[in-house]
Amino acid sequence: MSDILKQIAEKLYDGEDDAVAELTQRALDEGLTPAEVLNGGLLAGMDRVGVDFRDGELFVPEVLIAARAMHAGMAILRPLLTESDVPSAGKVVIGTVEGDLHDIGKNLVGMMLEGGGFEIVDLGTDVPPDRFIEAIKMEHPNLIGMSALLTTTMPSMKRTIDALMEAGLRDTVRVMVGGAPVTQTFADEIGADGYAPDAASAVELARSLAGQINKSDG
Amino acid sequence: MTQQLPVQTLQPMIRVLSDEQVRAIHYATLEILAKTGVEMQDPQGRELLLEAGAWESNGRIKIPENLVTDAIACAPSRIPMYDRLGNLTMPLELGKVFFGSGSDTTFTLDVKTGERRRTMAQDVEDIAHLCDALENMDFIMSMGNPSDVPPDDLYIHEFIRMIRGSVKPIVYTAKNRADMEDIYRIAVAVASDEEALREKPFLLLYAEPISPLLIPEESLQKLTFCAEKGIPASYPPSPNTGGGGPITLAGALALGNAECLVGLIISQLIRPGTPFLYGMNTAAMDMKSTIVSYGSPEWPLGMMAQMDLARYYNLPAWSAGGASDSKVVDAQAGIEMTFSILTNFLARATLVHDVGYIEYGSTSSMEALVIADEIIRMTRFLVDGVAVNETTLALDAIARVRPGAGFLADDHTLDNWKWAQWRPALIDRNRYDRWVKLGRKDMFTRANERAREILEEHQVPPLPEEAEGAIAEVLAERAAAGG
Ligand code: B12
Repeated sequence: MSDILKQIAEKLYDGEDDAVAELTQRALDEGLTPAEVLNGGLLAGMDRVGVDFRDGELFVPEVLIAARAMHAGMAILRPLLTESDVPSAGKVVIGTVEGDLHDIGKNLVGMMLEGGGFEIVDLGTDVPPDRFIEAIKMEHPNLIGMSALLTTTMPSMKRTIDALMEAGLRDTVRVMVGGAPVTQTFADEIGADGYAPDAASAVELARSLAGQINKSDG
Repeated sequence: MTQQLPVQTLQPMIRVLSDEQVRAIHYATLEILAKTGVEMQDPQGRELLLEAGAWESNGRIKIPENLVTDAIACAPSRIPMYDRLGNLTMPLELGKVFFGSGSDTTFTLDVKTGERRRTMAQDVEDIAHLCDALENMDFIMSMGNPSDVPPDDLYIHEFIRMIRGSVKPIVYTAKNRADMEDIYRIAVAVASDEEALREKPFLLLYAEPISPLLIPEESLQKLTFCAEKGIPASYPPSPNTGGGGPITLAGALALGNAECLVGLIISQLIRPGTPFLYGMNTAAMDMKSTIVSYGSPEWPLGMMAQMDLARYYNLPAWSAGGASDSKVVDAQAGIEMTFSILTNFLARATLVHDVGYIEYGSTSSMEALVIADEIIRMTRFLVDGVAVNETTLALDAIARVRPGAGFLADDHTLDNWKWAQWRPALIDRNRYDRWVKLGRKDMFTRANERAREILEEHQVPPLPEEAEGAIAEVLAERAAAGG
């Protein structure tokens, strides 16, 4: 890997947005392609951030500061990139289920997934099953992520999964669930594809579920 | 000689905000209310505020200072709370301190097996039963979300189990207005009629706005229900630092204050004099695990700070403490519970809930409650201060004593030892050999045994027949509606 790409990755990891922007520009001036800068620099840095966050070495703000640096680099690259240059890990429709207004955790999961290369469609809070369905029809996501923080709203996760089956959409997406009262056992009971206890493991879960979908597609 | 005044005992009390800091936070709150505004999702609340002089711009309701001042002036400075037998046991007044359990945990540590499992309806009743016997638990919360009842009726079952399990005042959660109506119906049956309930309320609503700046319809309607009926309510927001609130405590306090005051204003607009418990919860969001921590030092610091605001407004306040982030009842739990109980007491927080929570409020533990009861007793002794008077100065005894010989057998010791020292009930101070003989029991084991003993021995007066009748009716109607 070229020296400058390594530097970009490092500065991104350290969250130095000005340095990342400057180096991104310099790399382009030196003749590297936008795709090379993206993959070898920005995404390489973000991957390291993701791994260290998962392993409990980084704090959430450090991840978000790195993401801010990523955006600084992307602001320069984006106009030069074609769609096929930007690898997307997948698209995720995310929301807090009907009756539930807790969204700090759901938002955080969304931010971390975004940092992990996913495209996020956030439906907000108090999302009834038919709004998930509508969004799946419109957005064609690989995954949906449901959040519930209340015992009283957990059943809405099952209702949403049942509604997906009825609408004949269950096989088009992988379903992941989370939130403090949710457990792996509950996820299995309601027929979800995956559960993660926190934002760090949510990214990994999303990656593995998206991988399954891609395999079964191809 | 002119009869001299006694030496007053200093009972240590802590403030963490100066007058100037309190005013600065208050001004920031006024700025938030008038310039930033809140999103009011309840149509009735919106109308009330607009009619009273608030205005709307950019989809936000903006509230001028005079509405704040009027509401504070209008709200009662004391909320006398009764047990369900009609005894005044919890006069919520500034200067007084009351402790109680917490609401709605997902799991409980099974007192028989030690296993962490989903909470059931019987657990809510058992924990209420336990708290009924614990001297320093002044009020009851559900401590669990029963997993064995229909989710839509969950809070009704919690209320029924609490009121059966204990006579102490109840702080309850409800889902919506329909829940409120059913809970009210049961409470009226317990009190005998609406007037009796209003005169001697034994229940206090725990509803919350959503930080930042959102007043949802459902939660406001629970508050307005209480205002209409003239029964006590609280509306504490949770601007958790770094999550629902700014990362800095001052900003979280200013924001939480604004949100809480919106609740206060609405309650006073509907019925001037509605008993409204001021307060907020500014716990910190841990930046690694992303839990909202109930063991951090930021938590009690924020609770102490909001007590300084409460005193500025001359209102009793909601608070939280006696909880832990530990997954088991261990040394960490002991440290964290002690830390927040001591500080709440020192700050004279009026109503301190969440006692006995472990795992940041996800799990309840009877052992933690029993231990907290002891911590509160210990704290109470400390906060009582050092009485300085003729008896306690013991000059006669000091004059009598043979140098080097000690006071053990002196009359002064024998006459005063009982109150001059604190005596543990659960804390172990045995000499080593006796501790071994008693089975080498650690604090958890002793607390567990005490809890089981109480469950076995303690009796709680049953509900009046009419109340059980009302409960049966409510459940039957709900079953009919659900099926
Ligand atoms: C903040 C908070 C609130 C705020 C919410 C503000 C907001 N904008 O979200 C307010 C004050 C509004 C609130 C209201 C209520 N709350 Co509340 N609240 C909390 C609190 C203190 C913290 C939750 C939080 O934000 N955690 C921080 C985030 C980052 O963590 P998280 O949500 O768990 O998310 C992480 C994981 O779960 C996971 N995850 C989350 N979603 C998803 C989704 C997917 C797909 C995946 C993979 C992973 C994942 O990753 C996230 C990031 O790491 C908890 C107690 C606690 N200490 O946890 C109670 C708690 C969740 N609340 C509770 C209750 C009961 C209520 C109320 C009913 C209280 C009342 N009296 O009215 C109301 C309900 C309102 C409603 N209809 O939703 C209970 C729930 C108990 C239960 N089992 O049902 C709790 C546990 C407190 C308690 N013990 O009583 N609450």
